Amino acid sequence: MSGYQEPFFTRGPSPLARLTFFSLVAIAIMIADHRFQALSWVRLGISVVLNPIEQALGMPATAARRIGNYFTAQTELVTENRALQNRVLELTALGQQARLIQAERLHVDALAVAVDAANRLDSRGIIAEIIRDARNPYARKVILNKGTKDGVTAGVVVIDGDGVVGQVTAVGLLSAEVTLSTEKDQSIPVMVMRDGPGAELGSSSGVGSRVGLRAVAVGNGRDGTIDVPFIPLGADIQNGDALVTSGIDGTYPAGLAVATVIQVEKNPAFPFAKVVAQPATAPNHHRFVKVLLRAPAETAGSASASSASQSAYPQVDVGVGDKKSTSSSTAALKPAASGSSSARRDPRRNN
Amino acid sequence: MDLSPASRDAMTLPAPMRLLTGSLVIALLLNLLPWSDWALRAHPDFLLLVLLYWVAHEPRTMGQGWGFFLGLIMDVANSVLLGQHALAYVAAVFLVQLLRVRILQLTVFEQALHIAAVLFLSQTIGVLLNLSMGSDFPGWGLLLAPLLGAILWPLVNWLAKLPRFRRRFGQVLR
Repeated sequence: MSGYQEPFFTRGPSPLARLTFFSLVAIAIMIADHRFQALSWVRLGISVVLNPIEQALGMPATAARRIGNYFTAQTELVTENRALQNRVLELTALGQQARLIQAERLHVDALAVAVDAANRLDSRGIIAEIIRDARNPYARKVILNKGTKDGVTAGVVVIDGDGVVGQVTAVGLLSAEVTLSTEKDQSIPVMVMRDGPGAELGSSSGVGSRVGLRAVAVGNGRDGTIDVPFIPLGADIQNGDALVTSGIDGTYPAGLAVATVIQVEKNPAFPFAKVVAQPATAPNHHRFVKVLLRAPAETAGSASASSASQSAYPQVDVGVGDKKSTSSSTAALKPAASGSSSARRDPRRNN
Repeated sequence: MDLSPASRDAMTLPAPMRLLTGSLVIALLLNLLPWSDWALRAHPDFLLLVLLYWVAHEPRTMGQGWGFFLGLIMDVANSVLLGQHALAYVAAVFLVQLLRVRILQLTVFEQALHIAAVLFLSQTIGVLLNLSMGSDFPGWGLLLAPLLGAILWPLVNWLAKLPRFRRRFGQVLR
């Protein structure tokens, strides 16, 4: 050994003792965080400090991307514009039909109103930009540039032009973390929707599509595929079927596109068919998404109240309100709320 | 007077706190760049690298407590399970404390090999923790991170020993 030694009198515990101590503390923190979510306030506190720094660090990349976009070739823009215009026409047609159906259903009875109002896509929402991927190689998450300041709360749904992107799982003041629908074990209640001839099963659907089997779409941690487990072998599902949200969980509004079935494997050796679907959205290709904000109060009554007041079908809503109850809107919607909750409990609804 | 490298470190004045914290903050900022996709898996952990440098060269100031604290900051910044970086950093710091006298005898490039092993072990702790919680293995790109970290080790050495840093911060040159 050389002449150098540690100080004659070592102060404090030995490195091994320190290692043991800090390891135990770290493990205790992990358990507290994993099991009890006890440390979310620490997380929020530090993230508020870190957020502006992260935004500043992301700036060069963002600026480079914006400059890149600025110099996008005109032909590309023209093509895109044409595609978007076609899309608008398509959607307008669909919207007209949907409005017609809506009107029909609203006139059926009060229960229909309730079901509809509770499940109708709330038009309140904000546009947010995907600023980066979450720095966690084990998870499929992206970070948005909107947070609690803009009314985003944990649990709300995020969509883009093609369908469901995912769900907000953590919010900071100025940013939110979205878990993509392809994340492992991320589940979305869906129902199978089939387009085309001979698909006019449901009495209420005039769009030429019918709604069938209910299932759960579960992400598997890989890009490009979503699993649909627990489909019985005899179930009516085939390639090309669309999976749309069924709305029975009360989190995802009904009718949002989730995925398209691309593979159905029915092996009699197993009790369930192996069904693989392709997600409707590819978040890597989009920068802007829509966050579907929740109504201020969590009760079904106020949710339907807000969607009714902002709905695109004022004449229908007013008509039903006049018929069914007094002029007070909250009173008018109380029976609707109770109706919706009972309807939600019945799994055979719509089948 | 011929002194071993480890004792030469002891003969110099301790590096000023400003230099320590400043370099750690810069390393943290590098870690917080918007890494994504394969770069997310393969980028070296700059913060751990700088931390290990100071643990090797300023053992009286930098220890496992710093590793723990910086690890918690990384956990929050990456919004992952709180404590996993802390555990991995503390283990890495411990290994360097253990190997310090030996490492400092070696040339910088030989040191880098040791650092690669330490970084790899530290990363393995993180991977095992995540796998035990049911995550999928994110891919072999992860192996690149300790290697790149080791490649950067000579650079960190060179930067930290730049005379102008030491002079600016009032350090006596040896």
